[in-house]
Amino acid sequence: MRVRVKLIANYMKLLPPGTKGNTFELEVAPGVTIGDVLGPLGVPLDDSTVLLLNGYQVEADALLSEQDMITAFSAIAGGDRSLSQPDAQKITM
Amino acid sequence: MYGWHGRLLRVDLTHQKVSIEPIAPQVLKDYIGGRGLAIRYLYDEVNPQVDPLSPDNKLIFTTGPLTATTAPTGNRYMVVTKSPLTGALAHSNSGGDFPTWMKRSGFDMYIFEGRAESPVYVWVNEDDVQIRSAEHLWGKEVPETTDALLAETHPEAKVACIGPAGENLALMSAIMNDKHRAAARSGVGAVMGSKNLKAVVAMGKKNPAFYDDAGMRALSVELSKEVGVDVKKGSNLRIYGTAYVPQVTNALGILPTRNFQAGTFEGVDKIDGVALKNTYLITHKPCYRCPISCGRLTEVPEGKYAGKGEGPEYETIASLGSACGVDDLAGLLKANYRCNELGLDTISTGLTIAAAMEMYEKGIITEEQTGMPLRFGDADAVIEMVNRIGYRQGFGAILAEGSYRLGERYDHPEMSITARKQEFPGYDPRGSQGMGLLYATSNKGASHMEGDVAYEEVFGVPVKSDPLSTEGKAELVARFQDAFALIDSGGICVFFAIRYVFTKERMVWPIRLTQLLNLTTGANYTPEEAMQAAERVYTLERMFLLKAGSGPEQDTLSPRLLHEPLPDGPAKGRVVDLDKMLPEYYAYRNWPRGVPAPEKLAALGL
Repeated sequence: MRVRVKLIANYMKLLPPGTKGNTFELEVAPGVTIGDVLGPLGVPLDDSTVLLLNGYQVEADALLSEQDMITAFSAIAGGDRSLSQPDAQKITM
Repeated sequence: MYGWHGRLLRVDLTHQKVSIEPIAPQVLKDYIGGRGLAIRYLYDEVNPQVDPLSPDNKLIFTTGPLTATTAPTGNRYMVVTKSPLTGALAHSNSGGDFPTWMKRSGFDMYIFEGRAESPVYVWVNEDDVQIRSAEHLWGKEVPETTDALLAETHPEAKVACIGPAGENLALMSAIMNDKHRAAARSGVGAVMGSKNLKAVVAMGKKNPAFYDDAGMRALSVELSKEVGVDVKKGSNLRIYGTAYVPQVTNALGILPTRNFQAGTFEGVDKIDGVALKNTYLITHKPCYRCPISCGRLTEVPEGKYAGKGEGPEYETIASLGSACGVDDLAGLLKANYRCNELGLDTISTGLTIAAAMEMYEKGIITEEQTGMPLRFGDADAVIEMVNRIGYRQGFGAILAEGSYRLGERYDHPEMSITARKQEFPGYDPRGSQGMGLLYATSNKGASHMEGDVAYEEVFGVPVKSDPLSTEGKAELVARFQDAFALIDSGGICVFFAIRYVFTKERMVWPIRLTQLLNLTTGANYTPEEAMQAAERVYTLERMFLLKAGSGPEQDTLSPRLLHEPLPDGPAKGRVVDLDKMLPEYYAYRNWPRGVPAPEKLAALGL
């Protein structure tokens, strides 16, 4: 089945060579998850990435269906990564 | 005193009198500085029912204890006053260079009161403060005004000024600093214009010492490195600026399109950060000493849209671009440059033009009123309307009052997409429910700068939150509102501070911010005390609103968001479930029927 993958902004560097724009199509087998598709491309599958399936927030284990649209982008905060809040116990005020 | 100067500059424009006053240490500790300090003074000195454009209103510029420090992004100032657009509170935030120069002039705060008989500017060079004639500058646009003032004061000084839009009392006029940066929202430029105050020029070398100099420098280096690591890895904010965001909001179906008639825009690829990078981007341009550098320096080299300046950032792309149906990047850039040169808030300007376009296309207004066709997608029409708003010419004189008054004038108030009469930023709340509650309850009217829960709903920071769900959004909005009050009172930028405010458990626990405040001021806050101060600030602002007549009955959104389901995209079929979230919000804040309970006020020392 065919699905489309959109990688936004700094994730565009992970698109297959020769991709035009930020979106490409690929053929996947039934039972494949978003993580199965994005992992090999190098998209981080942790909290630092937001994943959408047809515009809805999902996790990497979401199963794909025919004509699905996958979108991935990095979470932001003053750089890319989500927070680096230290452990309260280890900090002296 | 450490961190704070402990003094303010008061400029009585009516009597051309300047005075310097001490600020009580306890007030500084209780309200932190910046936005917090300003509301304490505004609340005490200005009748909330005053006409915002009368001499009785006051215009406050204020810095925080972290402004002009080594703290990364420690370079913000706030403009606080009663808003002529909303009738509620204005607190508009800006970066650039001016905030640091203002702090170095030796004051935590400038208060401008009264009204000058003829145009003036104020030149603050430490304790040498002069009120000078600005007759020769009146009518001039922002770049020309700025250059002239640098020539006649000091080439190393920094300028905050209004353009023709502020002089003409356009209700969406901004105060521009360093030519391209804006304390944009809520018509603060009109308040400055109403006082015949064209500009404020600042410089100096007076900076308060840090309470713990070595500690502050060590922590600043550590935090700069943390940010720097991410930036080097390829930060979107550095590479694309906030201009990368349209792709994200479009994917979620919340990119304002044709005056919020849709949530996805077919032309998004032509006006996003990638398109910008491939065409008109010269380089990224940071605020003073900022390690993130989200600013864009751009140029359209030739043709009818030729121009050069800073921008666009996301909000401008959403308002002057997709909300007006414009997919011509050069035209969008020109509209952005003209807003900066005239001194206009791009958000309210774009959304007001968008409302007029919808009214024109629906036959509510015709060329007889507008003077020209106003169709979605026509960049030339947008630019022409921007110019006419700035100079209050023709139909621009009506648009200069904002979209709410435009809609009312032609008996279609529902065409205005506003909360407290202020136009929405670039997140359609039907697909971002928390943003809907935020807009409805914000002390400054619809805004993304007063508790931007899009961080969670859209960007997944610090944790992901389902944008279509209303679950837990009351608490989330209240926590974010308080956290932003802390950030704005501290004098730093949210792009940096957001990563040090929340834990993954979504608790507000501003350890790093508290450390920075303590190393700077010696005030010895605990994180709980810092957050309590932030809640004190937010609640006092709410009390100002209640007295101004902008209370719970105004905690709502334009009817489109409550009754017209989004027609497209992932949020198709949704409206904002405000009826569910608002009572939960009041309950969480202990604001029965929208009014802070007496015991809540007592607990906050109000």
